[in-house]
Amino acid sequence: MLLEVHGVTKRYRRSPAPANDGVDLAVESGQVYGLLGHNGAGKTTLVNQVVGLLKPDSGSIQIAGRDVVADPGYARMVCSIQPQAQVPIDGLTPRQAIETLGRLRGAEARLVRVRADRLIEALGLSEWTGADGARLSGGVKRLVSFCMAAVVPGRLVILDEPTNDVDPVRRRLLWAQVRALADEGAAVLLVTHNVVEAERSVDRLAILDHGRVLTEGTPADLKSAVADDLRLELVLEPGTQVPAPPDFASSFTATGNRLVTTVPARMGGAAAAWAQDLRRAARIEEYSLAPATLEDAYVALVGAANTSDSTMEEPGVRAA
Amino acid sequence: MSALRSYRLLVTWQARRMRMFLPLGIVVQALFAFGIVAGYPLLFPSIDRLTVLYLATGGPAVSLITMGLVAVPQLVTQARTEGTLDYMRTLPVPRIVYLLADMTVWLAVVLPGVAFAVVVASIRFGLDLQVSPLVVPATILVVLTATSIGYAMASLLPPMVAQMASQVLVVFILMFSPLNFPADRLPGWLAAIHGVLPIQAMGEVMRGTLASNTFPLTAGAFALLGVWCAGTFAATGIVMTRRG
Repeated sequence: MLLEVHGVTKRYRRSPAPANDGVDLAVESGQVYGLLGHNGAGKTTLVNQVVGLLKPDSGSIQIAGRDVVADPGYARMVCSIQPQAQVPIDGLTPRQAIETLGRLRGAEARLVRVRADRLIEALGLSEWTGADGARLSGGVKRLVSFCMAAVVPGRLVILDEPTNDVDPVRRRLLWAQVRALADEGAAVLLVTHNVVEAERSVDRLAILDHGRVLTEGTPADLKSAVADDLRLELVLEPGTQVPAPPDFASSFTATGNRLVTTVPARMGGAAAAWAQDLRRAARIEEYSLAPATLEDAYVALVGAANTSDSTMEEPGVRAA
Repeated sequence: MSALRSYRLLVTWQARRMRMFLPLGIVVQALFAFGIVAGYPLLFPSIDRLTVLYLATGGPAVSLITMGLVAVPQLVTQARTEGTLDYMRTLPVPRIVYLLADMTVWLAVVLPGVAFAVVVASIRFGLDLQVSPLVVPATILVVLTATSIGYAMASLLPPMVAQMASQVLVVFILMFSPLNFPADRLPGWLAAIHGVLPIQAMGEVMRGTLASNTFPLTAGAFALLGVWCAGTFAATGIVMTRRG
């Protein structure tokens, strides 16, 4: 295991509940590991302890077998990070920023240039390579900060919400590059609250809630909890009332004009008939019935109440 | 990865970020020079040579200290709030190297304006300044000490408090510190305080190296400032590596 986190607990002063509460997880080289959870679940707190910005109250963190709680300098040498906050690149062009990071990681200038060119090309950033960082859009800035982490990757690459503000087309290009990082041998720790995207991109994942790991496994493991469920999604006609949930729905969440409900697979026929009736009555624009997703498993685990802002996203919609 | 190479890369990075402040730094310092040349004669109609010398050579110390205690905390506080300071702290370079690189750039931003102010004042008042080569270590000591204090303040204090503290310090430094006037004008108790604080020593090393024919340059001032510089720089290094 490249990254091993055992029993990490972190409590902030003046905060009654711990931000991390006995967190265990392990990430292998070559693996994309998703750290999921809603806002305030403790994801960034955990990352900040891995890279030595925060010190755990208890527990251990090892990278490549080395105790980085005792030696945070080592963590900085072997981790490359895309932070959730913007990176300070005002006054620099994307190319300068990316190459500076590559060279700070110790690579030789020519190699850095080749790798930077490849990333810029792969993410469709060519038209901005010479622009001032201060004038870039939020999405392009995010992509540049990804490139800064990826140009000469550390053995552990930490990406904190890498797709925020990024357009749908470049999101796909970005995910391909995240995969490439792992294929080249890096361990990738991916922090996100975008469950839909995570499902397609991660090898394993942990769901964090109130500082604890609720569950851990492959996306298929997690989905097995909802294997016998179907997901019925309705788009309401504007101005119509939200219909009462049918008896057989096990969960029912309304966000704007979109309704998502989970139904047992054996009730698929009844669910389709119910939706079809609503459609005939012109109360809904469309509906879809499909096997339950990781998002449904996530909602079932974390509870619909505190996830309405973070689980209803489609790719391309800005993360909350 | 050698520390020197990291230093060079970080200086280039920070210099590019600060590029926009360079003209501003020069303009502010030029205004400062204008203030000395045109403003002080209004304040003191019968201004004597020694007073003018005090003003012309105290000016650089005031500028360097103000940069360290006002501009630095402002930008560091901003970087802290935006999260970019934390990002810089995750880079694979020793944090001391990062601090030194940052301070080098600050020095480069403020220096042209300071030099300009001294030249203008000496031309206007026909001063015969005898600049000693020791002005280089003197300037470096003053900048390192002042920016270390500014950095530590901005890293430790809540943003609003840091801002207030830097305002209070500026008033204290501009009005009640023997930079533009001799220390013997101060009341005894304040003079005693200034005997241990670094501000007076900052003024003395700048004055003594810019007008070495008029002002004595004492080893004591250099030594006191050296101790402050080492202490504050080390403290800032600790603050920068501190984990919450």
